[in-house]
Amino acid sequence: MSNVTQIRGLNISQCIGIALEQEMSRDERVVVLGEDVGALGGVFGTTRRLQRLFGDRRVRDTPISEMAFTGMGVGLAMAGWRPVVEIMFADFIGVCLEQIYNAMAKNHYMSGGTVRIPMVLKTAGGCIGSAAQHSQCLWGTLAHLPGMKVVAPWTPYDHKGLMAAAVESDDPVVYIEHKSLMRHKAESFPIGFEVPEERYTVPIGQAQVVRRGGDLTLATISATVGHSMTAAEALAGEGIDVEVIDLRSVVPLDAETVAASVARTGRLLVVDEDYLSFGLSGEVVTRVMELLGPSALKAVKRHAVPDVPIPAALTLEKVVVPSVASISGAIRAIARAS
Amino acid sequence: MTMYSTLDRYRMMVRMRCFEQACQQGVVSGEIHGEMHVGIGQEAIAAGMWGALRDDDAVVSTHRPHLHGIAKGVPLRPMLAEIYERETGLCRGRGGHMHLFDTAHNFSTTGIVGSSLPVATGYAYAAWLEGRDSVAVGVLGDGAANIGAFHECLNIAAAWKLPLVALVENNLYAISVPVAHVLATPSIAERAAAYNAWGKKVDGTDVDIVAEAFAEAVAHARSGKGPALLEATCYRFSGHYEGDYDVYRTSEEKERMQREHDPLTLTRRKLLERGEAHEADLAAIEQEARNEIAGILAEVRAAALPDPSGALDGVFVEQTWPLIPGAEPAPATGGGR
Repeated sequence: MSNVTQIRGLNISQCIGIALEQEMSRDERVVVLGEDVGALGGVFGTTRRLQRLFGDRRVRDTPISEMAFTGMGVGLAMAGWRPVVEIMFADFIGVCLEQIYNAMAKNHYMSGGTVRIPMVLKTAGGCIGSAAQHSQCLWGTLAHLPGMKVVAPWTPYDHKGLMAAAVESDDPVVYIEHKSLMRHKAESFPIGFEVPEERYTVPIGQAQVVRRGGDLTLATISATVGHSMTAAEALAGEGIDVEVIDLRSVVPLDAETVAASVARTGRLLVVDEDYLSFGLSGEVVTRVMELLGPSALKAVKRHAVPDVPIPAALTLEKVVVPSVASISGAIRAIARAS
Repeated sequence: MTMYSTLDRYRMMVRMRCFEQACQQGVVSGEIHGEMHVGIGQEAIAAGMWGALRDDDAVVSTHRPHLHGIAKGVPLRPMLAEIYERETGLCRGRGGHMHLFDTAHNFSTTGIVGSSLPVATGYAYAAWLEGRDSVAVGVLGDGAANIGAFHECLNIAAAWKLPLVALVENNLYAISVPVAHVLATPSIAERAAAYNAWGKKVDGTDVDIVAEAFAEAVAHARSGKGPALLEATCYRFSGHYEGDYDVYRTSEEKERMQREHDPLTLTRRKLLERGEAHEADLAAIEQEARNEIAGILAEVRAAALPDPSGALDGVFVEQTWPLIPGAEPAPATGGGR
């Protein structure tokens, strides 16, 4: 990558914005619809500049009408456009889930392959102290419903490359940003902080080993990759050598990369900021066991949000949302387990 | 745009009824399972749409979609084959009767009540973005007019002057609930005023009145003045679905409505009274339609059901991973645009 121009000083929301800008430049059929995506540039700043660059026809501020504009994304896609529809908070998806899981996700299959829905549903998840209705990740919920790819990046490099891949994909892709990462500077990340100016894509469905280690495998996604990296570095001092895997994509789920790691370490910890039950953590564990057989695992543990609404008070939120401290505790527990 | 004669539209309505009866036959025989919603009694609305739309116009229809498909030019054989869940169907048997997709005619449906208008509004936005004078028609029933998306879409289409036609088939019942019990206003069409939209309520059992009003609605939307809301009243002669006990309507009411408001009977009488056709012409038209549909039905019944090995194909365009972990990935469908 030595001859590639790097952009300096970016934060995560700018990585997303630049990706959208490049996709809109190279393909005039890309349109962005959503609440406050135009003049404001998105409440998390990810669509800043786009309306100025591409006009208010292609970057459209919608009324607060998620059912309508999500369904419009489906209609636009069927008419040959490549809509990027922003649902401001992942929590709001309940308002328009009908169009997402019955139309966006199913029309390709139901049409016998004659219809394509190259649509990106972009939304922000994750905890920033905003309580039960503005903190959910929900990737497990969306991944449970067939027909849509679901990605949740962590590194600056992946935020840009996965957005490009999502827009380029002929399938519907749900792209879940983490609100707490939006203002983080690229340089503050331990890896993937170099963001090429040139367009590139990151393949959807490939996990990445972000830290090598031999004692246990920690698989996670989105912001908790960062917390897990911090915990792993600290625990190295205690003699625990953690391999950290950034799943990057929930659908398709790259269980093979996790299994290959677990085959060496024999211990699997899945950390998930989404709810514990019936979700990503259970799925990763099951798939790894299916691939390796149960005897390959010396220890297995899930650390996720217990099945409770996210509380408002930070003293309570801290108890339920995985943090560096709680992840460290989970690592110690599984490292000791025999 | 073609303004068909009353006689042409009568022929179309007879074909439509025969088509719906062919669907009913499949339910009785067990070849079609699940819910089946036919539009017998409502033919004048779809036959009134017929001719007003071009291929580049879009129609997004409902759980009771067959007649709108016929009006939009969807070929009958692959449509009936899809309803009979055959590999030769529009969607290779994956969609079934409520999920019909014909990209060549920009026709699609949704089985979810109230979900047609948002998709149609997307088509309208696409036409507007491209500077085309195409329109998008979202078909809905009186029941769907009460979903929140109705308001959202009419508001957006009016605020942005999108070429949307909302065609409400008001058959007086949302499954079992009489429209008058759940509607705040005497009509649905009068809501148009709230959106500065074009609105009209017509007798949807008179095919000529529907044709004129629908052409007017389409012309309004096509001219760039924003959405049109056309409400056409009708009565479904079957239950909500085939097998519906239909205990919410009295037999007296059903018999009277069929006697007095059957669009085929009404149109037939009008043609004879006006001297636009003789009894023998009409009988020939009816026989011809029966023969046509019987021929198609026989071909559809002879066609193969989908191969079970293809059940996992085509969930994604780029389906490079197995849906069952550890299995071979399914081949990509490669279809679509």
